[in-house]
Amino acid sequence: MPLAYTLPSNLSPATVANTSSLLRIVALALISGAAIASRLFAVVNFESIIHEFDPWFNYRATRVLAEKGFYAFWNWFDHTAWYPLGRVVGGTIYPGLMATSGVIYNVLHALNLPVDIRNICVLLAPGFSALTAWSTYMFTKEMKDESAGLLAAAFIGIAPGYISRSVAGSYDNEAIAIFLLMFTFYCWIKALKTGSVLFGTLTALFYFYMVAAWGGYAFITNMIPLHALTLILMGRFSSRLYTAYSSWYAIGTLASMQVPFVGFQPVRTSEHMAALGVFGLLQIVAFAELVRAHVSSRHFQSILFGSVIGIGVLGVFAFAGLTYKGWIAPWTGRFYSLWDTGYAKKYIPIIASVSEHQPTAWPSFFMDLQFLIFLFPAGVILCFRELRDEHVFVIIYAVVASYFAGVMVRLMLTLTPVVCVAAAVAFSSLLDTYIDPVEPDVLAPSTQATEAEVPAGDSPANAPSGSATTSKKAKKAAAADASSSGLASGVLAAMSPSGKSAKPRGIFGLDTRIVVIANALGMLLFFVLHCTYVTSSAYSSPSVVLASQNPDGSQHIIDDFREAYYWLRQNTPQDAVVMSWWDYGYQIAGMADRPTLVDNNTWNNTHIATVGKAMSSPEEVAYPILRKHDVDYVLIIFGGLIGYSGDDINKFLWMVRIAQGVWPEEIQEPNYFTAKGEYRVDDQAAPAMKNSLMYKMSYYRFAELYGGNSAVDRVRGQQVPKTGPTLDYLDEAFTSENWIVRIYQVKKEDLLGRDLKTANSFDQGKKRKKSKPLARRKAVV
Amino acid sequence: MRFLRKLLLPVLALASLALARSSTGDSVLILLDPSLKKENFSVFFGDLENKGYQLTFRSPKDATPEIIKDDVAQFAHVVVFAPNTKTFAADVTPQALVSLLSKNTNLLLALSPKQTPLTSLASEFSLILPPPGTPLISHFPKRDTPATVIPVDAPAAYDIISPNLPPVWFSGVPQALGNNPMLVPLLKAPTHAFASDGDSDSGADALVEAAEKSGEGLWAGSSLSLVTGFQALTNARATWVGGVEMFSDEFFNKEISKGVKSGNRQFASDVAAWTFQENHVLRIDTVEHHRVNETLPSETYTINDRVTYTAYISKYDSELDVWEPYSGIKDLQLEFTMLDPHIRTSLPPVAGEPGKYSVTFRVPDRHGVFKFVIDYKRKGWTYLTSSTVVPVVPPRHDEYPRFLSAAWPYYAGAFSTSAAFVLFVALWLAGDDREPKKSKGAKSE
Amino acid sequence: MLLLPLLALLSLPFCLAASISAEDAHQKLVKLAAANNGLIKLDDSSYNLLTHPKRTWSSSIHFTALDPRRRCAPCKEFDPSFTAVAKSWSQVPASERDTHFFATADFDNAMGTFQKLGMQTAPVLHVHLPAEGSRRPASGRTAPIVYDFSNGFDAGPLAEQLSQYTPVPIPYKAPIDWSKYGTAAGVTLIFLSTVRLFLPILRSRWAWAIGIVLTSLVMTSGFMFVRIRGMPNSGANGQWIAPGYQNQFGQEVQVVSFVYGLLASGFLMLTLVTPYQTNPYRQRLQVYLWSGVIFVMFSVLISLFRVKNRSYPFKLLL
Repeated sequence: MPLAYTLPSNLSPATVANTSSLLRIVALALISGAAIASRLFAVVNFESIIHEFDPWFNYRATRVLAEKGFYAFWNWFDHTAWYPLGRVVGGTIYPGLMATSGVIYNVLHALNLPVDIRNICVLLAPGFSALTAWSTYMFTKEMKDESAGLLAAAFIGIAPGYISRSVAGSYDNEAIAIFLLMFTFYCWIKALKTGSVLFGTLTALFYFYMVAAWGGYAFITNMIPLHALTLILMGRFSSRLYTAYSSWYAIGTLASMQVPFVGFQPVRTSEHMAALGVFGLLQIVAFAELVRAHVSSRHFQSILFGSVIGIGVLGVFAFAGLTYKGWIAPWTGRFYSLWDTGYAKKYIPIIASVSEHQPTAWPSFFMDLQFLIFLFPAGVILCFRELRDEHVFVIIYAVVASYFAGVMVRLMLTLTPVVCVAAAVAFSSLLDTYIDPVEPDVLAPSTQATEAEVPAGDSPANAPSGSATTSKKAKKAAAADASSSGLASGVLAAMSPSGKSAKPRGIFGLDTRIVVIANALGMLLFFVLHCTYVTSSAYSSPSVVLASQNPDGSQHIIDDFREAYYWLRQNTPQDAVVMSWWDYGYQIAGMADRPTLVDNNTWNNTHIATVGKAMSSPEEVAYPILRKHDVDYVLIIFGGLIGYSGDDINKFLWMVRIAQGVWPEEIQEPNYFTAKGEYRVDDQAAPAMKNSLMYKMSYYRFAELYGGNSAVDRVRGQQVPKTGPTLDYLDEAFTSENWIVRIYQVKKEDLLGRDLKTANSFDQGKKRKKSKPLARRKAVV
Repeated sequence: MRFLRKLLLPVLALASLALARSSTGDSVLILLDPSLKKENFSVFFGDLENKGYQLTFRSPKDATPEIIKDDVAQFAHVVVFAPNTKTFAADVTPQALVSLLSKNTNLLLALSPKQTPLTSLASEFSLILPPPGTPLISHFPKRDTPATVIPVDAPAAYDIISPNLPPVWFSGVPQALGNNPMLVPLLKAPTHAFASDGDSDSGADALVEAAEKSGEGLWAGSSLSLVTGFQALTNARATWVGGVEMFSDEFFNKEISKGVKSGNRQFASDVAAWTFQENHVLRIDTVEHHRVNETLPSETYTINDRVTYTAYISKYDSELDVWEPYSGIKDLQLEFTMLDPHIRTSLPPVAGEPGKYSVTFRVPDRHGVFKFVIDYKRKGWTYLTSSTVVPVVPPRHDEYPRFLSAAWPYYAGAFSTSAAFVLFVALWLAGDDREPKKSKGAKSE
Repeated sequence: MLLLPLLALLSLPFCLAASISAEDAHQKLVKLAAANNGLIKLDDSSYNLLTHPKRTWSSSIHFTALDPRRRCAPCKEFDPSFTAVAKSWSQVPASERDTHFFATADFDNAMGTFQKLGMQTAPVLHVHLPAEGSRRPASGRTAPIVYDFSNGFDAGPLAEQLSQYTPVPIPYKAPIDWSKYGTAAGVTLIFLSTVRLFLPILRSRWAWAIGIVLTSLVMTSGFMFVRIRGMPNSGANGQWIAPGYQNQFGQEVQVVSFVYGLLASGFLMLTLVTPYQTNPYRQRLQVYLWSGVIFVMFSVLISLFRVKNRSYPFKLLL
């Protein structure tokens, strides 16, 4: 038998198996190491700090959990958030993340390792990324074989699409959610293959963990039923499916209802109805199968089949009716906005205003997944080639996830795993084909099977996933008869489901192998470079600390946010209420530890609209609002000086819009544009704009900074008027180094009972016009 | 006790005066216009000194002793008897005087028909003065004094002025009052008095004409105030006197009618006493809140708790220079507010325990950050304000009822199902293999 | 410039109109409204009637420029929905109907008004609240409320918004789109009738494979972005690559998905087809061919990406 290159032939199969498994373990360890290491750029470049906005709340909640214990955390009523409404935290969050780090914290302290809770929170995401790599390995192993699994693990370990939400310090639900997602899917596939209740229960347990950890659990809740339904429609119903699904659904649903925030949603809302419906359908089908097994009359069976369909249809109608009657809540806004893409902007501006809810352009796909993105369709095709149940799952996952990722940037996260899996399948089958030293020839297949499998690193040990092996064997067997062919027949042969191909298969020559392998390895290398670059440059900045380049190229840290937050912490009374736009609520609570009016958990639109109204109204209108809410300080973000574009003036229109939603009479968006419909801040700005509190606070004393010269707003690129706005009802309390954060103190009432405008003009020594005594005699009416 | 004192006051005036002390301090700065001789006011100043005040005199022109030093008020009270001074020293600006109030220093200011910085300051206190050079004039009752020197009856205004005084002599400008709730008119003009330039009647008619035509307000009659108290939010008090002569020895001794001396002396000391916060001074010593049948305050309350709120209020007693518990307030109110008052209830004094006001109420069925608010503002009295923040939280997870009678069907269902399952399994295992039919039947159930 | 004196003339009737009492004005308006099923066609004088200083009625005035010469596409788009809402208002009983009026002021009939209001753009929708009477707003606001077009020109939201200012909600019902239902029904019928023909296709996995792969290709090359943002197929001056990292044109979807597809098929060829080639030379040819294709297309893709993301440091061939 001709070989492209020689293999050591004196190895016993046992040795080969052992070595390969050892290699696998080492490889996995290295992959985990790489996954964790590549997420530490943020810590290296900046410091061990919590990132962005939501993580700050999670961090704060975790501190409460670590200090006061779980029950205190569960009953935690945060009276400093949403002042004065307060927020029932325990019932309005997914506690999985905090619980996880709380457990880790307690375990470490039980082991007398006094680790600071902050470091646990910072490093949680990288740690779990290693686990994600492992679970992806397991999952892919079920799809093809270990070699594909290793590739998939490597891919997901360093794919920017996943790193973007799991760098050290981005302490958010997604950090652990992706691991749970993949592992739940793995358990599901396992349960489906083996039909074991044990794995079904495991699926349910991890599903519960997922529910407790991330709102995105609805994805699993609908993926698994979809898979089951497809299998039924493909006529692949089996007792294994029945066992797996029933055990998952029954236990999983009951468990998920234990999470306070979820409560009775699994039986009340449309997102969960698919699972319930499929559950019912499965029972019916199972019963039909049972009867079919016992009754022989074909006539009866056909009737039965019809009745099954009928019952299914009935169920659908019943569901529609229930929804119509309002016993089942329809899709929630966020969920609905995935289907009707115009929905969010029209009805829930708060959601639409978030940048990560925008649709995705192709560059960010490529940025996040590089060459995986075009390997992924190839992988899907391969899945179609040998269409086992688990492959159906990958296919469905692929199409659904790619749609969602297209609609929302943040859902790129759910696409990444399946892309990695599919790409790994494609890539490893390429390698399998070209590393395999066997050249096709007329020969006895038996001796060669093991050798062929050595480089593929395929151990005959695992029977369930061995179908790849079996297909290989089949090909070898088929290789017996040789005949010449053209491309078309080759394609046909390729397309025909594995095992039945009647043609020899293999590659001639060494050079061809080298070319392809070299090409492939080059791509892998490039991918690693790409990931390193993207991670270090794009995804590792904690938006709390900004970095800019000095002229000499060195890094310049802009730390205004923390400067200002610590100023608040040091210089204001513990209970001083701070008003800001909701983006900064969590950070103020986390870093400045002061009560806030609104924060990033946007549960009360009216309260947010109140803040929006205060910001977009003239001083004298805003003042009563501020007093009523006991606001002591107002904090705004202003980028005009150093050109920080994410500042409040740019978000101002959203404030106006949201306020308009509640007070259409008083606040109107068009008033904030110039007559020509432009959004200006210079001297042609609309009067409503100029009088608004936000404008005044942003540009207060801004012009003085430039002395006589023209003051230019670096973000809007416009000249602001020479004579800046004046403030009567607020005092400038603090302005950070680069003017990014400005804090204003709200004045108390005047001690002589005058309105603050007159009081102010008196203090500046202006003459007031002489007033007359009130009319003594009222006119007789 | 107080009642008795009221009766005896005219008699014991001097005696009691000797004992009286202010609640805020005894140092008094008197800005005295050089044109008015100090000895012309010897009685008034003497009375103050008898009360135990240390008087410091200073001409408005010279710079020392300064009123505010390093942003700290140097005197507890400042008397500005400079009705004719056009220009004050640098540190006695209207702004400085207002800032004194914020530093809880009391002011006693005298006006005059002349246009001075004080005139413009008066308008900040929403006092509306007639045009310069128009003093108050009255021709009744018939008397030998010029028309600008008027005897005015002094009713006991807000029982700050001691009752049934003989009329007091007044000469100076009246003030019309803006609608500012902080004003406390202490002495009203007689109904037949009016402000006019020159003391001839012709002027008067002309003034009325002018007033009617040009819509200029008419400074006449009892709506005008001659001596006006003002209590700022800081509880510092400022009193505006229409004319400084009221406090002069001349007016003190001037007879109203044969053998009846004027009430000026007593009136002056009453005004001074109120202005220097000797009387009508209240304070909230402490507030307490706790659940019913608990004693310590809890930092959070659960919805629908029954909560007791207690406030201890005491009043300054100038004779003994002590704060003594005071149960005299009948219309005190407590508000339990989040954005808006969810509960507004009266806070009655507790019988038998002087100075203690207490009420028990049910916390509303609404969680959030609430405030106990007392906001007691009455003319002439110190403002009582207090606000205590308490979060009201929903019940803990283990504070809900454990077993609901409504849920019995579900319990029953759960238990019966498990029982049935056990039974089924038992039967299944007990079933005989030789009869597959039976077991099949069992399965298909 | 010649327009101005003309405008001065047109603005004459203002002063006349002001003198008319509110009642007469109301009578006139009711007539006008009745004449043209609920929608008043405004000129300058009737505009002043409608916005009478003592009005007890509210009104929604729609400023537009329908004349083709004005080339106002949105006007044409918005006009039908406004007319539809006005029409539906004429169904309510007279007692309520006559307390709110719908009016359209076309630029060519009411230039004076446009001038007076200093209106630069069209369409604009003003809502005038009553200045007197029971429905007078608590704020005493007399300035018109400007309708916010943020949620489109559709009649549905329009009626919804305007109902806040009318005494009774506007009974607007969207007309049932028979054509849509018809086509849907037809398609389903055809499908059901010819399902026998389709059945093999539905059964064949490769049909599904092609469908699904195409879908994911299109989605991953930013189709939804173009759809949601309504991006044009290609930019002005014929450039087909949109500048900016978070931005793209419709044409890029096609190009990028094609490149992806080609690369994917290259891999598939290497993996699935080539091994079955039993002739060594042709096989070697195929291998080199496809490897070359993959390499070239990949470098093309990279260069495309570099156009979008300038700061990207890596490059292959070009």
